Amino acid sequence: MFKKSVNEFMNYIPFLKEIVKRDFKKKYYKSVLGVAWSMLSPLLMMVVMSILFSTVFKRSIPYYPVYWFSGNLFFTFVTQGSHMAMNSMITNSSLIKKMKIPNYFFCISKVTLELVMSLFSLIPYFIVGFILKVPFNFNALLFFVPIFYTYIFTIGLGMFLCAYATFLRDLEYLYSVVRRMWMYITPIFYPIDIVPTQFRFLWELNPIYVYLSIFRDMTINGVMPSERSLIIATCYSIITLVLGIVTFKEKEERFFLYI
Amino acid sequence: MEISNATVELMQDQNVIADTSQIPDEDICIDVNDVSVMFNLSKNREDGLKEYFINMVKGKVAFNEFWALRNINFKVRRGDAVALIGRNGSGKSTLLKTIAGIIKPVRGTVTVKGTIAPLIELSGGFDRSLSARENIYLSGAMHGHTNRYMKKRFDEIIEFAELEKFVDVPVKNFSSGMVSRLGFAVATCVNADIIIADEVLAVGDAKFRKKCEERISSMLKGGTTILFVSHNVNQVKKVCRNAVWLEKGRIIDSGTAEEICDKYNDALKGTKRKLIKNS
Repeated sequence: MFKKSVNEFMNYIPFLKEIVKRDFKKKYYKSVLGVAWSMLSPLLMMVVMSILFSTVFKRSIPYYPVYWFSGNLFFTFVTQGSHMAMNSMITNSSLIKKMKIPNYFFCISKVTLELVMSLFSLIPYFIVGFILKVPFNFNALLFFVPIFYTYIFTIGLGMFLCAYATFLRDLEYLYSVVRRMWMYITPIFYPIDIVPTQFRFLWELNPIYVYLSIFRDMTINGVMPSERSLIIATCYSIITLVLGIVTFKEKEERFFLYI
Repeated sequence: MEISNATVELMQDQNVIADTSQIPDEDICIDVNDVSVMFNLSKNREDGLKEYFINMVKGKVAFNEFWALRNINFKVRRGDAVALIGRNGSGKSTLLKTIAGIIKPVRGTVTVKGTIAPLIELSGGFDRSLSARENIYLSGAMHGHTNRYMKKRFDEIIEFAELEKFVDVPVKNFSSGMVSRLGFAVATCVNADIIIADEVLAVGDAKFRKKCEERISSMLKGGTTILFVSHNVNQVKKVCRNAVWLEKGRIIDSGTAEEICDKYNDALKGTKRKLIKNS
């Protein structure tokens, strides 16, 4: 059973590549700057946010533009990726009805597309860090570890949401509200210090914050993240992925009636 | 009344099995065993939370059940060409989709030995904003083929589809004939054990149709199994050896293509005559 699933997965890896390529091409179809937008738009936003907040948080955040940029990168990755994965059955319904492709590949492809986008916006991130003279540290070379955790987490979350959103289209609107709330409880533009100490454990329940702080430790603070946070991050990723797969597999058989 | 009807059908189905029971097990490549498929024809779709809860309170979601297939039993021998015939809405396409694994049956099992190239719709799987070249790789990948494998087949596909001048043109600018030519070329150039073709020979001009028929008969000689849906009875007789006649989701009769096609034609004429009399 398990071996069969792995075989099936390996069989469709070329398909995953092609469909991500397709989505990528279509995303910037006919735009002049093309993929440069995935680097430009966070940069423009970063300028605005830095002007607004860098004086307010001067003492607690030394490199505000980089701080905000990293927060935005992880937040966009998770929320955009899970949102697109959530709707992937509906947006790909014409393919699902005609071809025999394991449905979950459409969820993975959307998250992978977002991963590619995030990797592109890492380029201006490191350039800005270099310009602002953020001290370089070899820990920064491990930046892909928190990104990988986030990738796994987002696939799980996307599959979980997709399993329900295919039947109940209202979830799309509900999730957009949830995303906005999620933005405020994630320290993207503010430092964690402004949260009262007795409530800080609540922030650790937020997976994005856990991944983000690992990433910031590595690339901005130049320290190795604590073992505790790595263990928590691993747990979040694995639990969410398993939950996503189980829910998806259970609901999958009835999808074609609803798309 | 309904029950007695069903039992009659079941008995007929058993006759169908008896016909094919002589086939040794290793020769069977498609085994459809007592398959039933149901759709929900709900008038107001439960898309919204509000409707969902209202219906929950009203006492279970009111679904209008529609059985697209009921207790379908048949077996296909390796290398055979079987046609599914029947009027519109008789369940032919649903049966093909079930065999292709796109729809899961509510009851019963489908066992398929070998790889399937489903040709449910010729333009199926094409992205209209991509070029022919990109679409060939994409639909190849959908059938589980690597880029390298498709590269080897690329020229052959373009040549068969006669699209040498349009390789890098987006498919949305193609004529419908060009799209179907490309679809047929992509689906038949890859070596699948079973081809599922839903009305695919109804397209293109006479010259291309002849080319397609030649390709199909050469594949049959090579040992490929073909499941074929067509409304063109003459074509069915030409391509297929055996036929299955579906009506309202049930198998009415099965046997050699000649015999079944004649019966089907007679039945169609009969209903026409009835209609004329009534009017």
